Formats: sequence, structure tokens, C-alpha cells
Amino acid sequence: MEGEFLTSNLQRFWELTGFANAEFGNFVMLAVGLFFIWLAIKKNFEPMLLVPIGFGILIGNVPFNTGAGLEIGIYEEGSVLNILYNGVSAGWYPPLIFLGIGAMTDFSALIANPKLMLIGAAAQFGIFGAYMVALALGFMPDQAGAIAIIGGADGPTAIFLSSKLAPNLMGAIAVSAYSYMALVPVIQPPLMRLFTTKKERLIRMKPARAVSQNEKIIFPIVGMLLTCFVVPSGLPLLGMLFFGNLLRECGVTTRLAKTASNALTDIVTILLGMTVGASTQASQFLTPETIAIFFLGFMAFVIASSSGVLFVKLFNLFLPKAKKINPLIGNAGVSAVPMSARISNNLGLEYDPQNYLLMHAMGPNVAGVIGSAVAAGVLLGFLA
Amino acid sequence: MKRKLSLLIVALMATSLVGLAHDRKALRINEVMVVNDSGYVDDYGNRGAWIEIFNANFSPIDISSVFLSTNKEKPESCLYAVPIGDQLTKIGKRQHVIFWADGQPNKGTFHTSFKLTPGSDNWIGLYDADMSLIDSITVPANLPANASFARSEDGLGEWEVRTGGDKDYITPSSANIIKDTNKKITDFKEKDPNGFGMTIMAMCIVFTALLVLCLCFYGIGQIGKYFSRVRKAEAQGLDLDTTQLVDIQHDSGEEIAAIVMALHEHLNAHDTESTVLTINKVKRAYSPWSSKIYSLRELPHK
Repeated sequence: MEGEFLTSNLQRFWELTGFANAEFGNFVMLAVGLFFIWLAIKKNFEPMLLVPIGFGILIGNVPFNTGAGLEIGIYEEGSVLNILYNGVSAGWYPPLIFLGIGAMTDFSALIANPKLMLIGAAAQFGIFGAYMVALALGFMPDQAGAIAIIGGADGPTAIFLSSKLAPNLMGAIAVSAYSYMALVPVIQPPLMRLFTTKKERLIRMKPARAVSQNEKIIFPIVGMLLTCFVVPSGLPLLGMLFFGNLLRECGVTTRLAKTASNALTDIVTILLGMTVGASTQASQFLTPETIAIFFLGFMAFVIASSSGVLFVKLFNLFLPKAKKINPLIGNAGVSAVPMSARISNNLGLEYDPQNYLLMHAMGPNVAGVIGSAVAAGVLLGFLA
Repeated sequence: MKRKLSLLIVALMATSLVGLAHDRKALRINEVMVVNDSGYVDDYGNRGAWIEIFNANFSPIDISSVFLSTNKEKPESCLYAVPIGDQLTKIGKRQHVIFWADGQPNKGTFHTSFKLTPGSDNWIGLYDADMSLIDSITVPANLPANASFARSEDGLGEWEVRTGGDKDYITPSSANIIKDTNKKITDFKEKDPNGFGMTIMAMCIVFTALLVLCLCFYGIGQIGKYFSRVRKAEAQGLDLDTTQLVDIQHDSGEEIAAIVMALHEHLNAHDTESTVLTINKVKRAYSPWSSKIYSLRELPHK
């Protein structure tokens, strides 16, 4: 009798183990998670994002008996992972990240040369180009909008919008957005070379004027009011972005700015990355739609980067010779701060070792953050 | 000090009450049935007249202590106060609640002390705790039995008689229009199947937002330049007109850096500038608390 009791308990325990519940999809996703961790550690591709996401994928794909009612899965209401995932599903992690981005970002380059904001706007063509292709592939408009925002090259924005428009696709969209952000150094340079001539790559831009403290303080206040009056649906992202920037620039809230840009951002990045990774359970993630999302994400990045560069070339037709813009900073119009600005700088130095484009590229780069948040607000307003 | 604290508490309470009152203004009488012979039943299995209240807000509203009345002239004479302390009085965002107008308040929170009168006009008023009218409706006397008088859309629209047919269904405790699709999405799907319309509209909005910001900061930059010219003129004791001839753009960072370095070399004037790095050897007394020997593990060697 006792032997039977022990056997049946051991049998029940076996049924709870990962080995008994494993499916092929789990192993595929575990391999994806390990690949992300390898990319981050060995190749140093966005390690702050890919390590939490990669490990989150491992956590989310450990198989278990979902019928046992253990309340451990990320989609099981009341589980610890589900509580942590609420920041993603309810969309409050992204605005906190934006607070940190605002507190980290120096908008001086943009304030000194406001016309660079238009490059940030032009790069948003990537979003809407991908939107059109997504519609052609048969996605519904709300799903297409959520997928297309990958072209904004802004992870928090992509998560925020997809949590509102297409929660079932959020895992794939987030992983796709962060993957392509990590691959910006691979995707952008060939496009920048393709669309520019050698003469254009050598254009030297005038150093930006010094920006006064007052201008830096006015920028987040006026910026928030103007953009949010135009697109109130962008309020959570834009409001927090400009609020963080005001904390940084006002000079009397240094402690708050430091917390927002360091500790708070780190905490939210850890939680966001891990839970986004864990949300990619094989049953939800390994679908034909995921492949389509990755394809559309790639297209969105290509269109966004190209349209930024091409817009600068177009813009240059109307600018006097002394004020021409180097089109190598056009790629920075996609957000991906500061990676895409660094790419502009590195490529500029490749053709002219004394042509430092970093600060010029930071203008469209931070304008891209604002532009993608505005675009997200527009999509949310039209499709939610 | 105590007076200030009291004032602060009073101000906070007043603010929260204003907030509460503001929320409750979003309550709407949404649908009413006067004669109910074959329709919706209450928790006791009885049929009776009912009044549906709708929360038009996108946040929950607690309706405890609001009043329902059927007397327009003297609301106090025929008043039902929604009891305090029942959690069910919290209506979720865009949700409904049914009150049974059966004159039996002892049956529970949602049973009113008054009844509706079949065959005559029934005025129903919804009052806030301070007796300000939130919403009211007069249900016509000729409303057929088992028909409801409802808004065409939740919280909005014209009132209409619904007899329970396929197209004018009666919806106690649920939305007056049953939506099985998101109208915005279907509109975009039908009228903009390839996404050109969305692209044009959205890009125009994005460009407008950033163009407005660009123009604004161009203007602010010009004002900033003007004031720096004024300050420069004051510092140099010159006319503003004379100073205007000097292009402020010439003060580039590189030039400023060159001037500063020249001054630094010439005057050997540095001591407390933040750009000067001073390295001093610091000696600290040994403590086992800070000793690396007692660390849990060694740092990896690369």
C-alpha cells in the first residue's frame, strides 16, 4: 500500500516536471534565448537589453504543467511573473523608461539647430511604410499599426503601443524591435553608403551654437505642451520624456534626475526586459505571424533609415552651401539612441578623420524619439 | 502651525470632494422599463420596473449616497438614497447597474423605496449627494408593457422606445448598442485598405508637431541671441546697434576653448576649475570590513 502511495506521488511529481511537459517549441525558444545571451555577452550587442530578454525567454519557456494550477506562468493571473508582467501588459513600464531617457538626454544639439527635428519626423516614414506592407500581408489595421511601430526603433514605444493595439503580438513585436535595435550597426551603414555620394559624406557642418540654460529649461515645458496638444494620445510617453528632461535641466532636482536616469531606469529595464522575454512562450511565439513580424520589422528599419538619409539630401537642395547637412546623420532620425548617432559619427570619420558628426547626429536622434512617440500617439488615436 | 495644517487638510478635502463630484457628473440614466411582465428578473426571481444607470467615465465611480427621485418639484418627498458601505455600488468604467423600482428597499441596495407608475409619465431624476441634479428623464405614459425607454447609445444619443425586436433589443445591465467589431478598425479596413490614407494623415501630423516645435525653438533661439547681444553690449559698454554688427556665431566652442587655453597658459591661473584633474595618494587605515582578502570571491582575471 505504501509502495503504491509512493509510486503514485512520484508519478504525479514526474508529471509536474519540465521533462514531462516539454515540447519541441520550448527547446526552439530556449535556443533563441541562449542565442540572445550569446549575442549580448560575446558580441556586445545591446547587452543591457538582450541579457534580460534572453534570460526572460529561458524563464518563460521552462515547460510546466499548466493544468496543475501552480500559478507560476506569466499568463496565469496572480502569479509573481504575472504581477511583474503587469507593467508591460498595462503599459506603465514604457513611460517610466521614457522618464529615464528624458533625464539622460541632452537636447542641446536639437535646440541649437531646430531644423534637425524634421529629419526625426521624416524617419517615421519607416513606421507607415511597414504599416502599408503589413496591411498587404493581411494584418488588421490595429495589428498592422502595432507591428509598424517597430520602425520607430524605440523598444518602450513599441511595447506601449502593442500593449494597447495588439496585446497578443506584443512578445514578438518587442523581441523584434529590440533585436533590430541591437542590429542597427549591421543594418544602417550599407544603406547610408548606398544613398550618399562620397562628396556628400565629406560635408562638414558648422559647430552648433552654445545653448543657454534658460532654453534648456523652456524646451521640455514647451515641447510637452506643443506635442501633447497636437497628439494627446502620446501623453504618457511624451509627458514622461519631457518631465525627465526638465528634472535634468532645471538644476534644482539633480537627485531626482540621477535617480530617474540611473536607478529607476535600471530597475524598469531589468523588469521590462525579463518579462518581455518571459512572455515569449513557445505556444504564443512560434507562429507564422512572428516570422511576418520579424520581416516587417526589418523592412520598417530599412525604410526608416533610408527615408532619413534621403530626406536630408532633399532638404539640402533648399539650403545654402554653408548650411548643408551631412546626409550621414539622416539615419539617426530613427530613435535607437545613441547607437544610430554613433554610427553616423563612425561612418563620417571613416571618410574624413576630422569630421565628427556625433553631436550633429544627436539632434535627429532625439527628434526621432519625439517623432516615434508622436507617431505612436497618432496610431493609438486612430486605431484604439 | 496647527491652523496652517488645518487649512491644508480642509483644502485637500475640498479638492477631493470636487474631484468626486466631478466624477459623478458622468453618471447617466441609460434605460428604463416601467411594466415588466416577461423580461429581466431580480435576485429574488421577481419581475418589476427597473432603471439602468451608466458610468460614462473611463474610471470607476462609487454611487453610494447619490439619490434617485421621481418627484421633479419636490425631490425630497420621494427620494431613494443609495446606501453607503456596499462594495457593489462601485460601477466599473463604462459599466451599468440596475435599480429595481419596486418600493422594497429592504430587499437590498439596488431596490428603491419608490415605484414607477404604469400609464402615466414617470419623471426620474438622479441627484448627487449635495442634491445637485446629475441627469433626468421623463418616461412617456404610452410606453408599452415589456418595452424599455433607452438611449440610442450608452450615455449619449436620443431616447427611443425599444420593444425587444431584433433591431431594437432591450439591454438591462449591458450596452445599448452591442458592438461586435471596433468601428474605427473596420472603417480603416474598408476605406483605407492599402494604408495610404493613414500614412498621409499620420505623417502630416508628425511633421506638423515637429515643425511647430522647430519654429518655436527657432524663435526662442533668436530671442536668446538678442538677449546675449544685449548683455554683450552692456558688458562692453557699446551700443546695441554696434554689437549687432558682430556675428554672435563667431563665438564657437573651438574659439572659446582656444582663448581659455591661452589665458590658462599666460596667467597660469588654475586651481579650482573642474577641468583640472588632481591626483593625490589617499591612505586609509586597514579594516577587515574593506579588505579584499575577506571578499566572497576573487574578481575574474581577464
